[in-house]
Amino acid sequence: MGVVVTGIGVVSALGANPAAFRRALVDGTSACTMHDFVRFDGSVVRAPAYLAVPAEPEGLIEPRKLRRMFRLARMSAVAARQALKHAELDPAAMDSSRLGICFGTSFGAMEPTQKFMDSWIENGEASASPLQFMNSVHGILASQIALDINATGVNLTTAQRDICFEAALDTAVGLLETRRADVLLVGGADEVTAMLHEFGSHTGQLVLDEVPGLDPWGSRRGVVPGDGAAVFVLERDDSPRRALARVTGTRIGRCDHSGPNVAAEVLSADGTKPDLVTSNRDGGSRIGKLNNAQDRALGVDSVSHRGNFGTWPAAGAMQFAANVLMLSNGEYYEPLANGRPSGRRGAAPGTILHNAPSISGSHAAYVLTA
Amino acid sequence: MPHTSPPQPVAITGMGVIGAFGRGVPALDRALAEGREGVAPLTLWESSIRDFPVGQYPDRLENALHEVPGLSVRAHRRLSRSDALALVAAAEAVKQSGLTNLATAGAYIGQSVCGTLTSEELYIEARRRGQAGESTRLDLSGAFVHEGANTLDRLADVFQLQGPTLSFMTACSSAANAIGLAADAIRAGRCNVMLAGGADSLSRIAFNGFCSLKVVSPDGPRPFDRDRQGMMVGEGAGLLVLESLEHANARGANVLALLTGYGHSCDAHHLTAPHPEGKGAIAAMREALTMAGLQPGDIGYINAHGTATLDNDRTEARAINAVFGEDSVPVSSTKRFVGHTLAAAGGVEAVVSIRALQQKKLPPNLGLRVPLDDAKLDLVVATRDTPSLRHVLSNSFGFGGNNAALLFAEAN
Repeated sequence: MGVVVTGIGVVSALGANPAAFRRALVDGTSACTMHDFVRFDGSVVRAPAYLAVPAEPEGLIEPRKLRRMFRLARMSAVAARQALKHAELDPAAMDSSRLGICFGTSFGAMEPTQKFMDSWIENGEASASPLQFMNSVHGILASQIALDINATGVNLTTAQRDICFEAALDTAVGLLETRRADVLLVGGADEVTAMLHEFGSHTGQLVLDEVPGLDPWGSRRGVVPGDGAAVFVLERDDSPRRALARVTGTRIGRCDHSGPNVAAEVLSADGTKPDLVTSNRDGGSRIGKLNNAQDRALGVDSVSHRGNFGTWPAAGAMQFAANVLMLSNGEYYEPLANGRPSGRRGAAPGTILHNAPSISGSHAAYVLTA
Repeated sequence: MPHTSPPQPVAITGMGVIGAFGRGVPALDRALAEGREGVAPLTLWESSIRDFPVGQYPDRLENALHEVPGLSVRAHRRLSRSDALALVAAAEAVKQSGLTNLATAGAYIGQSVCGTLTSEELYIEARRRGQAGESTRLDLSGAFVHEGANTLDRLADVFQLQGPTLSFMTACSSAANAIGLAADAIRAGRCNVMLAGGADSLSRIAFNGFCSLKVVSPDGPRPFDRDRQGMMVGEGAGLLVLESLEHANARGANVLALLTGYGHSCDAHHLTAPHPEGKGAIAAMREALTMAGLQPGDIGYINAHGTATLDNDRTEARAINAVFGEDSVPVSSTKRFVGHTLAAAGGVEAVVSIRALQQKKLPPNLGLRVPLDDAKLDLVVATRDTPSLRHVLSNSFGFGGNNAALLFAEAN
């Protein structure tokens, strides 16, 4: 039994829908721009970031409903509706108990969480905001989507730092294989907030000077953060809908205890040879070392498109979107480094291995074919 | 869920638990047998809300960490409170399983609060310093411990796990989902041994949040009581060692119980309130029964989610009535013993359910005075001996209408 991708939705710095996202990848557009971040002391720091463009209703979701959501929930809900439309699926016409959601987010609802804390720090604990508390729950994105489309099947949120999307994907494939669902919306989303930017700056992980973009292979200057949401429709391969790509293998394991190499394991189980290996390189030194070691072990030179759309814990969802688009359109997108073409040219792939060792010691890999 | 024939049950060979009753299964047994409630004043931080008790672990957690093998004192300092709770419960579960090498094992852990107690302190201090014009360059090692995978990574480090590791965050059904999905992973051949359950500590965010929703009781929870006033926020961890039956039998393991069914659904009704008719809860319970190949009449006890909020108990009672009929199966909620341990609830209550099966004793619904008018449940008011008990259902429901039901069977 196999699993196929039949729909895609994206709200990102590269555009507010999959078509705009693909166009920007084809054109080699860098979405990195300078943004103001307000610090705790009220000062403003101007720093590069890949912030997602506003999510538009696009006739897919009631504008009033969308306005009531916070920014990350808006992005996620719109991406989910885009994916369903792309797959030509009407949730109202489906058995809602067989329609589920599997979402990966590491930071979750940071904006409402911060607002909730501010509400009781400023006004006293007895005056905490119940609305912000409700929205601060980590599974809120999956819950909001379920509420919007009346999905009463499985509803799961995985939190696995920088491989949280890959964790959601792995979980979703298992759910489809065990027939706990027939159609799953699988997504990933995270947002950059001023607080995260300030904490990230203090740990020395972020680039603060003006740069044209992130360099996944680069120096030790750090990462340029971004945000966004991407959602995909996944079904078993007996679906009557057109498959954009086929997920032929997924693995989640560890890379920190000399265990089996997760990427090699998924490849040997799958039996196919990839034309392209993508990774979660983002310019960070620790992730760079892990990726270098993985590339050496597999004898490949992996590519990452985080120079195009930025990096954040759930950015694996964006890489998955780029990978699905390459396979479904017979294209190859030359990744950017420092806002310019990286010189890593290639041909349209037929099989992609995504290899994501995490700084946490976890490790995820999947294989996608056309 | 289409189950043509019941899938292979999964063996439970170890369990560990910690909470308001103390640490370890024997401490839980004593609390349940003595009817000792876990209601206590909050002492973890200075709160201006003094009206509401909590289910707080009563001793110094650092002392319990000495039970965790291979954990240095230096490492203690890097742990969030949730990490510590999880490690203590995991150490007990692993020890009971008799497994000495977990190299091929995985872990699925449910969390919601995670290390928020640490990171919220950091946020409060950074905010204070910023407003006072002081440097906000703090020790940020605790800044991101609220991330769900933090506890999972600590477990993987300490027990040298190399199998699949996933962290699930579905609010108060997190641990039940983690356990159910870990069993699925074993059945699918992804792994032979899994550590599964949940852990959550008390935190300002959870405590203030539930207080803001006006669902916390000033005198502790009284599940399914007509005059109940709400829940009690608690903390704890409950973890199980799950194994394929073949693996457990091949190594001659002592099988404590079997996990035979798991159901999961979403109400898609409201961000916090359950569906008024318990639609999602009904679906989850029925799915678990179908998976196990059982009829409602086969179930000898339900450990209810039973938070003692106005909405939960009313709708859960309706859902139980819809699936099992009125007054047909003994039901109790053990929330007054431990509080609502949020993401850990499904793990802690899995241990309670398995102990009921092993001892053939149903724990009482502590705090009950006058049953909810329209509950129509056979509520267990005092410890009840049930020699014929073979199957137990445990419910866990969370924000977002996230419902999970686990079915346990006696080992033989």
